[in-house]
Amino acid sequence: MSQLQVRFFTENAKYKVDDVPFSIPAASQVQDLSNIINKLLEAKHTGHSNVEFDFLVRGNFLRTSLVNHMEAEGISTEEVVEIEYVQRFMAPQPEECIMHDDWISSVDTESEWILTGSYDKTARIWTQEGKAVMTVAGHTDVVKDVAWVKRDGVTSLLLTSSMDQTAILWEWNVERNKLKARHCCRGHAGSVDSIAVSPNQTKFCSGSWDKMLKIWSAVPTDKEDELEEQRDRPRKKQKTEQMGLTRTPIMTLSGHIEAVSSVLWSDNEEVCSASWDHTIRLWDVETGNMKSTLTGSKVFNCISYSPLCRRLASGSTDRHVRLWDPRSKDGSLVLLSLTSHTGWVTAVRWSPSNEQQLISGSLDCVVKLWDTRSCKAPLYDMAAHEDKVLCVDWREDGVRAQHANRLANFVYINLSILLKETFSVQFPYALWTILDCG
Amino acid sequence: MIVEASSPTIRQHGSSRVMVPGMEHLLRPARHFLSDGSFSVQYPVGYTVFSPRLTLPLSRVMNSQACAFRLSTFHLYFLKSLSEDIRNTVGNVPMEWYQDYPHIGYDLEGKKIFKPIRNKDELDEFLDKMENPDYWRTVHDKMTSTDIRLTDEQISLVHRLQSGQFGDVNFNEYEPYIDFFSGETMIHPVTNRPQDKRSFIPSLIEKEKVSKMVHAIKMGWIKPRKPKESDLQFYDLWAKEDPNAILGRHKMHVPAPKMKLPGHEESYNPPPEYLLTEEERLAWEQQDPEDRKLSFLPQKFSCLRSVPAYSRFIHERFERCLDLYLCPRQRKMRVNVDPEDLIPKLPKPRDLQPFPTIQSLIYRGHSSLVRCISLSPSGQWLASGSDDCTVRLWEVSTGRCMKTVEVGGAVRSIVWNPNPAICLVAVLVLLNPYLADKLVYNATDQLIASYVEPEEERPQPVQWQVPEIEDSDKGFRLIITHPKSVKQVTWHSKGDYLASVLSDNSNMQVLIHQVSKRRSQNPFRKNKGLVQCVSFHPIRPYFFVASQRCVRVYNLIKQELMKKLMANCKWISSMAIHPGGDNVICGSYDSRLSWFDLDLSTKPYKVLRHHKKALRGVAFHKNYPLFASGSDDGSVIVCHGMVYNDLLQNPLIVPVKVLKGHTLTHNLGVLDVAFHPTQPWVFSSGADATIRLFT
Repeated sequence: MSQLQVRFFTENAKYKVDDVPFSIPAASQVQDLSNIINKLLEAKHTGHSNVEFDFLVRGNFLRTSLVNHMEAEGISTEEVVEIEYVQRFMAPQPEECIMHDDWISSVDTESEWILTGSYDKTARIWTQEGKAVMTVAGHTDVVKDVAWVKRDGVTSLLLTSSMDQTAILWEWNVERNKLKARHCCRGHAGSVDSIAVSPNQTKFCSGSWDKMLKIWSAVPTDKEDELEEQRDRPRKKQKTEQMGLTRTPIMTLSGHIEAVSSVLWSDNEEVCSASWDHTIRLWDVETGNMKSTLTGSKVFNCISYSPLCRRLASGSTDRHVRLWDPRSKDGSLVLLSLTSHTGWVTAVRWSPSNEQQLISGSLDCVVKLWDTRSCKAPLYDMAAHEDKVLCVDWREDGVRAQHANRLANFVYINLSILLKETFSVQFPYALWTILDCG
Repeated sequence: MIVEASSPTIRQHGSSRVMVPGMEHLLRPARHFLSDGSFSVQYPVGYTVFSPRLTLPLSRVMNSQACAFRLSTFHLYFLKSLSEDIRNTVGNVPMEWYQDYPHIGYDLEGKKIFKPIRNKDELDEFLDKMENPDYWRTVHDKMTSTDIRLTDEQISLVHRLQSGQFGDVNFNEYEPYIDFFSGETMIHPVTNRPQDKRSFIPSLIEKEKVSKMVHAIKMGWIKPRKPKESDLQFYDLWAKEDPNAILGRHKMHVPAPKMKLPGHEESYNPPPEYLLTEEERLAWEQQDPEDRKLSFLPQKFSCLRSVPAYSRFIHERFERCLDLYLCPRQRKMRVNVDPEDLIPKLPKPRDLQPFPTIQSLIYRGHSSLVRCISLSPSGQWLASGSDDCTVRLWEVSTGRCMKTVEVGGAVRSIVWNPNPAICLVAVLVLLNPYLADKLVYNATDQLIASYVEPEEERPQPVQWQVPEIEDSDKGFRLIITHPKSVKQVTWHSKGDYLASVLSDNSNMQVLIHQVSKRRSQNPFRKNKGLVQCVSFHPIRPYFFVASQRCVRVYNLIKQELMKKLMANCKWISSMAIHPGGDNVICGSYDSRLSWFDLDLSTKPYKVLRHHKKALRGVAFHKNYPLFASGSDDGSVIVCHGMVYNDLLQNPLIVPVKVLKGHTLTHNLGVLDVAFHPTQPWVFSSGADATIRLFT
C-alpha cells in the first residue's frame, strides 16, 4: 500500500481546492499534506502565502501518518478518503505575566477586566494588560471563588465567596474606582468554594463544604434580610458593618453527601453541581428538585458546561477530563475521556466560542488545550507555570467579541492562574494567546 | 453239543448240525426225553442234578437215589482221555453202527478194539448197583464200551459244571469287563463291518419328525436357545483397584533410565581431541568423584588386544548389588502440587478498588520531621505536628498551609476531636484551630468557657490551665500540664474524654481527662510495663493499652481486665482499632503488623511482614475496608482488610498497594499514617518534613 486515493475539502471558502480525488503516498504526515494543499492553493491563486493546515479524517485529527491513522480508526483504504482540512491553531504563546503575592484561587474574566481571588483574603481587579486596579478586601478568610455579575455603564457588580462561609456582592464604580459591599450572603456552614451567576444575571448559586447548594438573588437592594441568630458579639458586629447588608438564600438545595466543589448554571432554570461524593447533580431551580445524577468513580474537582456543544466537562482526582452529556437519561454515560494529566485536574473550561476546544489545569503544573476531535492527546501543553494550577479561564478579545463570525479573527487569551507557596512572595500568573485564524 | 445218542435221525459232524427234513418231531421227543431226565445221574439226597447243557431249569431235580444217567460221547471221550490211553479213532459217529460188530472201533495202531465181554444182565446190573459203592461214579464209555470209574477230580469237575461254575478251578469269572463294542463311533472301529444300507437311506420317521420341528419353529412354538451370558461369569478382581494405594498391586511401571550411548571418549582408541591433557587430568583427579563430568579417563591403546581388564569390575558389581539392595521397593509418592496452589486464593487488588494508588499532593512547610498527622472529621483540614515545635493546619484539597501554631516543644501526638460538633485538636494543649463552622467553634469556646469550678477541690494528678490572652488568640484553649513528657493523646469517640500516655516508669503512665469537667484521673494503680499507646473502643466502654509485648483490653465500667492480646512481637509501636471495634492492628518495631480478631483469639489472626524496617504508624479507614501501615523504609503499605458481619467468616486481608514517596532522613521514613475520613485517600507524614497524600 503505497498510494491512497484522497479527496480534500474545507468549509473555509478562502482555502477551497478543486473537488477531485488525489493519489498521495500512504505514509504522508500532516506536514506533507499541508504542503500539498499549499501547492494546490499557490497554483490556484497567485500570491498565496504559506499556511499551516490540520487535517481531519472522519472528524478526528490526523496525528500520525495517514495509513496508521486509518488502520487505528478502522477506515477502509480501498475507497477514496475524504479529508477535511482546517487552518492550524498556532501554538499559544505566553503573552503576559501578572504577579500576585499569594496563591490565586479563582479567576473570572470580562471583556475589560480580570477578577482574581486569592489566598491573602482579598480579590483583585486587573486590566487586560495586567495592571492592578482595585483590591477587594473584606473577607476574613481565604477568597475561594469570584465572579462578575454584570456591568451597566460605569458600575459593575461582582461576587466573591470565601472560606469565612459568606459570599459578598460588591458594587464597583469604575470611574471613581470605588468599591462598596452591597450584600453579605450568610447561611452556609462551611467554606463557600464555588459560586456561579445565572445567565440572566438575577440569581447566583453557591456551593459549599457543608454539602449544600444555595440560590441567592443577585440584584442589590437596600433591604436587609433578617438572620435567625443574633449574637451580641462585638467582633461580629464590626464585620457586619464592613460587609454590607445581610442577605439570606432564596433556596437551599440539599442532596450531596459530601462537599460541593463546583457549581454552574446550564441555563436560567438549571443548576449543575459537582461534589466530592463522586456525583454531578442537575437541579431544577424553580422547584428545587434534583433532576438527574451523573455518577463517577472519583472526586470531582470542577465542571464546565458549553452551551455550544451542550456537553459537560469534568475534572477529577483520577487525572482525567471526562465529557458528559447532561441530558442523557442514562446517568453514567461518559462520552469521552481525555487522559494526559499526571495530577488532579483542578480546572476545566470550555472555549466560549469554539465548540470543540477546552482547557484544563492540573496540579501537575500544566495547562492543556484540548480539541474533542483529537481525544488521544491534547493539542498543546502550556507549561509555563511552576506550581499547581488551581483555575483557568478564557477571555475573548473585547474589540472583536461582538462579531461572532467564523471569518473574523479572534484573539483568545487564556488566563491560567497559578498557585504559589506562601514563602515565595512574587509569582506570576500568565496570559496566553491563542491565535485562531480559522 | 448234546445229542441224544438213541436218536438215529440226527447226525453230527463237528460243529455243524444236520437236520433231516421231516424228522423234527423226533428231535423233540429226544429233547423231551432229555428234559424228562434220561440224562439223570444218581446223586445222594440233596444233590441237584442239572443237565449238562446248563439250559435246563433247576426244577429238574432228581430225587431218586439210584438213577442212571448217560453222558454224551464228548464227555466220555474227555473223561477217558484223562484216565487211560485207549483211543478209538472212529470219530464222532454213532456207536450203534458198531452194534453188530465184535469190535467197537480202531485204536491208534489200526487194530480193532474189541468189545469187552459183557455178560452182565439186568440182575447183575442191579446187584452191582446195590453192592458196588463206586457204582454212582461209574460211567459207561460207549467208545470203548467199558465202565470207567470217575476219579475225585472228575467228580468235582462234574459238580462244578453242574452247579454252573466254570470248569477250571483257577478261572476267575469276575474279571474286569472290557466293553469293546460301545455305542460310540470310533475312528478306528474294532470291526471292519461295512455300514448298513439303512444308514444311507433317509429315515422317513426322522423326516417326519424333522418336518414337525420345522413347522413348530415356523409357527414360533419352538424358540431358539438364548445365548449364554458368559460376560458376567468372569470379572477382573483388581480392575477397580487404586493403583496409587499403598497396598495396591504394584502396577506402576518405572522404565529404566536410558543409558547414554557410548561416545568417542569411551573408545579404546579415541580421537586425540578426546584425550585429556595433563592439566585436565590433574584437574580431573583433584575433583570430587561426584563432581566429575567424566567418570573415567579416556585412554588410547594401539589395538583392542592391548586393552587391559577392567579394573573396577568387582567394584562396580558391588555397587550394583548395593543399588539393588538399597533401591526403594515402593515408588515414592511425590507430592505433585503446584506451589501456586498452596498460596491462598486472594482476590486481585484491582477487584478491591478503591484504594490509594498514586501520590497526589505534597504538603510542604515543616522544617523538621513530621511526627503526627490527624484529619478533621469533615475531611477538609489536616493537622500535623512536627519536631520544629509547630502545629500546622492544612487545606487537604490544595495543600495550602492555613495556620501555623507555635507550641513550646516537639509535637509527639496530635488528634483532632472526632466529634464534629466540637472543634478541638489535642496536642499537649487543647487547640481551637478556628477551622470550622463559626457556630461550631464558637460553641466549642462556649463549652470550654462554661466550666464551673467545683466547690470542693479534688486532688488532680495534673494541672489544668486556662491560657493567657495572647495564647488564646493563637488558638490555645486549655493547657493540661503533665509532670512528664507526653507520648500520645487520643480522644474518645464522643469527644469529651481524652487519654494521654506519659513517658514515665511509675504507675502514672496513662491518664484519662474529661474536658467538660476539667478533671483527670489515673486509671491504673500498678505499672504493668512500659505503655506504648492507648486507645478507646469506638463503641463500647473498653480501653486498649498497648505495652511493649501485649495489648490489654480493660472494661472501664466494670474496671477489670478483659483480654490480653499477645502480639508475638518484641516492641509494639502503634495500634489502631477497627471502626467496628472487634479488630485491632498493631505495628511493631520488628517490622511486623499483627491483626487481632478479638472474637477469635488473643493470638494474632494474621501477622504481616511486608515492611523491611520498623513500623511507625498504622491506621484504619473509617468507611472503606482499608488499613495502612507506615514504616522506616519510607513506604506506606495499604491493605484491604474486610471485616464481615458474619461471625463465621474470617477477615479478608489483601495487601493492595505499596506507596513510596518519602525520602529517608536519619534512617527514618514514614512516621505516621492517617486516612481521609470520607475518601479512600491516605496521608503519610515523614522524616523528610513533608506530608504526602496518596489517592
